[in-house]
This record gives sequence, C-alpha cells and structure tokens, in this order.
Amino acid sequence: MRRGNARDHRPTVIVAALGSAFGVVLLLVTQSLGVALANDEFVRDSGSGALLLSIVALVFLVIAVYVGAVVTTNTVATVIAGRTRTIALVRLIGSSAKAERRLVAAEGLRSGLIGSVIGVIAGVAIAAGAMRVAVVTGLVPELDYPLLDPVIGLPFAMVVLTTWVASWVGTRRVLDVTPLQAVSAAEESRREHAVRRTGRTAWAVVLFTIGTLLLALGMIVGLFNPLGVLIGVVGGMLSFTGVVLGAELVMPPALRLVGRMLGRGPTARLAAANAVRYPERSTRTTVGLVIAVTLVTMFAVTMESFRALALAAAAESPGSFAGMDEALSVAVGVFSTLIGFSAVVAATGMINNLSLSVLQRQRELGLLRALGFTSSQVRGMIVAEAAQLSVTAVVVGLALGIGYGWAGAQSLLGSFSGEPAIIAPTVPWALVAVLAGVAALLTLVASIAPSHRATRVTPVAALAAN
Amino acid sequence: MAYNITQDGFVARVENLSKSYGTGDGAVSALTDVSIGLRHGEFTAIMGPSGSGKSTLMHIMAGLDSPTSGRAWLGDTEISGLDDTQLTILRRRRVGFVFQSFNLVPTLDVTSNIRLPFELDGRRPSAGESEWIDQLVQSLGLAARLTHRPSELSGGQQQRVAIARALATSPNLIFADEPTGNLDSRTSREVLTLLATASREYEQSIAMVTHDPIAASYADRILFLADGRVVDDVVSSGAGGMSAEEISRYMLSAEAAA
Repeated sequence: MRRGNARDHRPTVIVAALGSAFGVVLLLVTQSLGVALANDEFVRDSGSGALLLSIVALVFLVIAVYVGAVVTTNTVATVIAGRTRTIALVRLIGSSAKAERRLVAAEGLRSGLIGSVIGVIAGVAIAAGAMRVAVVTGLVPELDYPLLDPVIGLPFAMVVLTTWVASWVGTRRVLDVTPLQAVSAAEESRREHAVRRTGRTAWAVVLFTIGTLLLALGMIVGLFNPLGVLIGVVGGMLSFTGVVLGAELVMPPALRLVGRMLGRGPTARLAAANAVRYPERSTRTTVGLVIAVTLVTMFAVTMESFRALALAAAAESPGSFAGMDEALSVAVGVFSTLIGFSAVVAATGMINNLSLSVLQRQRELGLLRALGFTSSQVRGMIVAEAAQLSVTAVVVGLALGIGYGWAGAQSLLGSFSGEPAIIAPTVPWALVAVLAGVAALLTLVASIAPSHRATRVTPVAALAAN
Repeated sequence: MAYNITQDGFVARVENLSKSYGTGDGAVSALTDVSIGLRHGEFTAIMGPSGSGKSTLMHIMAGLDSPTSGRAWLGDTEISGLDDTQLTILRRRRVGFVFQSFNLVPTLDVTSNIRLPFELDGRRPSAGESEWIDQLVQSLGLAARLTHRPSELSGGQQQRVAIARALATSPNLIFADEPTGNLDSRTSREVLTLLATASREYEQSIAMVTHDPIAASYADRILFLADGRVVDDVVSSGAGGMSAEEISRYMLSAEAAA
C-alpha cells in the first residue's frame, strides 16, 4: 500500500540515477581506455595501467555513492518529518511502527531501483557516445569496446543497495512517531529531538585524533623521504572520516557563525535560526558538499605546491620537467571534474532539502505573512537560508581542503630539494573564485522553487495548511 | 493616532461586502452583502455555525483576504483594493493577530516574538513602546519566560505571548480567531478575561471569531452570522446583556431554524 506522495521520492530517484549513470560511464570509459592501452603499439600495456585506472575509477565511484547515500538518508528523514501526521494517523488506526518503517524503506528501495535503471541506460548511452566521439576525433583507435560489459552491474548494485540502506537509516524516525501525534495540535512545538549518538561521536574523535597524529608523522617523515606521503594518506583518510562522522559537531557551529554574518535584520535572523533549527538535518544537507569541496581543494593545493616546486626545479635543469605543467593541469582538471560530480549529487540534495523544509513550514510562513512579512521579505529569508547553507559548506570544505592539501604536499615534497624544507601552504585563488561562483549559483538555484511556492500561497491558505 | 477612528466612530467598517469562491456554476458564496462597523474600544464577538462566513469576514477586515465586491475600511483607510504589499504593511502596523494555535514563530524566543511586528517594520520600539511592552509582559505574567522558546511554554502561556504581541503595536484592531479553541476551560477563562480587560482598560478594539457561547459572553457585542449574512447584532455583557446560556439557546434555535 502506498501512502506517500510520489513527488517525495523524486529526489531519491534523481540521486540514484545520477550515481549509477556516473558509475557506469566511469567504469565503461576506464575499461575502454584499458582496451585502447592494451592495443597501443607503443604502450602495449599488460594490464597494470588498466588496473590502476580501474582502482582510481572505483575510488571516485565510492565517493559519489557515499555522497548519494548521505543525501538520500536526509531526503527520507525530511520526507518522514513532513509525513508525521499521516504516519501517526495509521498508527492510531492500528498499524505498528515497524510495519510503517518497512513501508517507507520499501518506497526507498523502489526509488533506488527505478533511478538506477534510468541511470544505467543513460550511462551506457553516454559512454557509447563519448567513445564514438573519441574514435571519430582520432583520440583512440577503432576497436571493439565493451559497452555492455558486466561491470555495469557494479554501480547498479552499489546504488540500489546504498539507497536501500540509506532509506532504512533515514526511516529511523518513523519509530518515534506516536499515535497521539495524529490528534495533538502541538504540531510545530515538537522538535526532532537529538538522537543520542555518543558512540558515533567517540568514534569521530578517536579517528580524527589518530588520523591527525599520523598526518603529522607523515609530514615529519616527509621532510626526509617522500614515502612520508603514504603515512600521510592513511592519516588523512582516518582524520577526514572522523570529520565526516563528527560533522554534527562541526557544521551547526559553522552554520551559526555564517548565520551571524547575514546581519541583524528580521529576515536574516529568522533565516539564520531556520538553518540550524534541525542541526542533524542541516548537517546532512551540507556534508556532501563539504566532502566534495574538500577533495577538490585538496587535490588543487597539492598539485599547485608540486607544480611550484617542479617549475623551480625546471628552471635549474631545463628539459627534465618538459610537459610537466600541462600534465599536472590535465590531472587537476580530470580529478576536479570527477569529484565535481559528487558535488552535483550533494547540491541536488541541498536544493531538495530546502524545498521540502519550506513546504513543511507553510503555517509558519502564513503566520509571518499575517504578521506583516512581505512576500519579498519571505523570498529574502529563503535566499538567505540557501546562502547560509552553501557558503558554510564551501568555506568549511575549503578550509579542510587547504589543510589536508598542505599536509599532503608537505609529506610528499618536504624532501624534494634534497634537504628538509617547509612548504608554504598555498591558497588556490582560482579555485576559491570558482567555488564562490558555485556557492552563489547554488544559492540562487536552491531558492528559486521554494521561494516561488512560498510567496504564491496566500496567508489565509498557508494558515489553514496542515 | 489620527487615523485610528473615522468620524462616525468606527474603527473598522465594511459596506455591501460579498465574497465568493470559484466561478460560474461552481461558485460558492461565503459572504453576501454584509455591512457592519466595529466601534473603537469595543470587544466584538462574531458567532455563527461553521461555514457561516465569519472567518471570511474577519480575514477581509484584517487585510488577510480581499472581497469579491463591496468596500472595507480600517480606520479611515480603504483596504479593499490595496495590493498585497500595502496590505502586508497595514497588517504589520495596524492589525494584531491571535490565532487558535500556532501563533508564535518556533525559532524565536518570547521577547523576539513579541517584538516581531516592530522588527518586520525595520525599526526598534521607541522608548514609549518599550515601556508599554514591559508593562504588558508584567501584567501578562511573562516576565520569567522572556528567553523561553514557544515549545517550552504551555498552551495558555503561548496565547498570552500572542496577546502581548498583538497589543504591543497598539493596533487599530486585534483579530482573534478562536483564541481559546485549544485551551482547557480554566485557561480559556484567563485568556478571555485578558482580552476583555485589554479592551476595557486600554480601549483596544478587538474582534473575536468564535463558536463558543462562553467565549462570546465575555464580549461587549455579538454579531451572529448565518449563510454569509449578518442575522443579528446584540449587546452581550453588562445590564441586559446576553449570558452564555442565552447565547447558547440563541445558537441552537438558529440551527433548528436553518
């Protein structure tokens, strides 16, 4: 039996489709490049290059799928917050909380399946098109490229599975809905009370501490030996996992700080309060974007440091670093594009979340309109909320990315000149400019639909809404 | 304030007001040719069965909705024909609201909720207004609750905050929509006494939509609506006023006649 609105799950379908399409394209193109490499008369790759490519592709796929899962968990949790009354009503009639949870999770699984099928079809089509273009332009030779390779089953399975798990995690709150909520009028006074998650916090702190210590060790070892970067990578992964796990400790204070910068007017203050009203929800809304921005920035910073050193070295011994600059630029570009995809998934989640939360605040908006909030003030408030979320995510991501990138550069390049040296941390200003543009664009896009809807409803209708 | 009262003593007035929803054969008429005036400082109850048009009438008089035909004034401003932004500013400055539930912004504490109409207007309360707010907070017993969020207050306390907010701007008219609909009978009496006192002591004009005869018995005057028309206009309190029993009986006979 379906009780929900199909619209509720559209974002889940979109995220699943994006994830599986990305995975399919990535794996098919990697495989095809492997085939091309194996047939290249100069390279005659025996498989090690293809294997490396596959591993890199898999890492990016995992990142995208993870971000997608975070987004889906959040979407499902938000959908449930909006459906509390309906769920409470069927609980009142006699349905059990577990049965209700299974129903919502099943909706999630179905959305994941639909989205993944769409994604796989689109992915195969895109990969085929891309390879066709590559052949026509002479980039790769005309060969029999595997386009319906069984490997496309991997992203499909990964996305379906993670969507299901994410829905299951997101539906935890169904268990908290009491039948009484169907009859009680105190709808908005109820809060999404914080789930006790001390275990998770402990893990976050432990991982972050160990990771950061390892990272420091890597930097010290890196002063003498470039292999320090291997310790650094492990440390960085651990500490960043700690940050993501403990995002609920990091994001709400950061959101409050950015919210304070919005100003003291009523519009800004209400917006600032809204963005941290449900800290858990806001954290999940922004964390995907934080991950993507951190990774892009980290690669850019490390590469930039490497390039600066390489250029300095090239000035001394011309010839040995020929073509290095172009190769690095291409590498940064490719990495950024691949990670940028996770950012798109995360942004989808943010846009959707803002829409849903505005939809769930109809009565509050009606009250504000009755009390004298003009429609342009309502619009301003929603834009400010979107700005707060995207700016915070970008700023936190940038700070983390610069930190990790610098640590990476230091541990990899500390001994580059032959003796221990401190590498000055670089700030990739071009990237900062691009990210500022992204944040502005995201703010705009994320606030269009909800502010349109919020200002179209008359105060009377909004107050009557339930 | 000069614009408070028109020459005829009405603080709010409607003339030949009609409102219908939908068009053609499916059109539903909520109000038909209603003409009434609310006097300055008067506590008026507007009664009628569900669907009688009492809410629609109040929505139009409070600048929340616009009529299909006819005219409406608040003070000496004609509000029928104002656009959305003009109505919004009018509500902000000259109308106070107390709803049945969900009166307060959940993310703001009590102080900010009370001061919200000033903030929305982009200004701080003047010294005189601040004093007035402090006085209201004291007399409504909210002094110890100023930093609390709405979710930390009982239903009665929330209604008192809403009343403080509505009184804070000294509006032409306070519009109360079933203000006791969600409260137990003791808290209801408290809230109604507060509204009656505000009207008597501060000469605050209040219009209250209700279908509760007890609530209506606190008012100075009762307007009865049925099928989109005003069917009676009686004095409620004081000598010769209607008691809750009489209002009840009146409502029942009106139901039976319908």
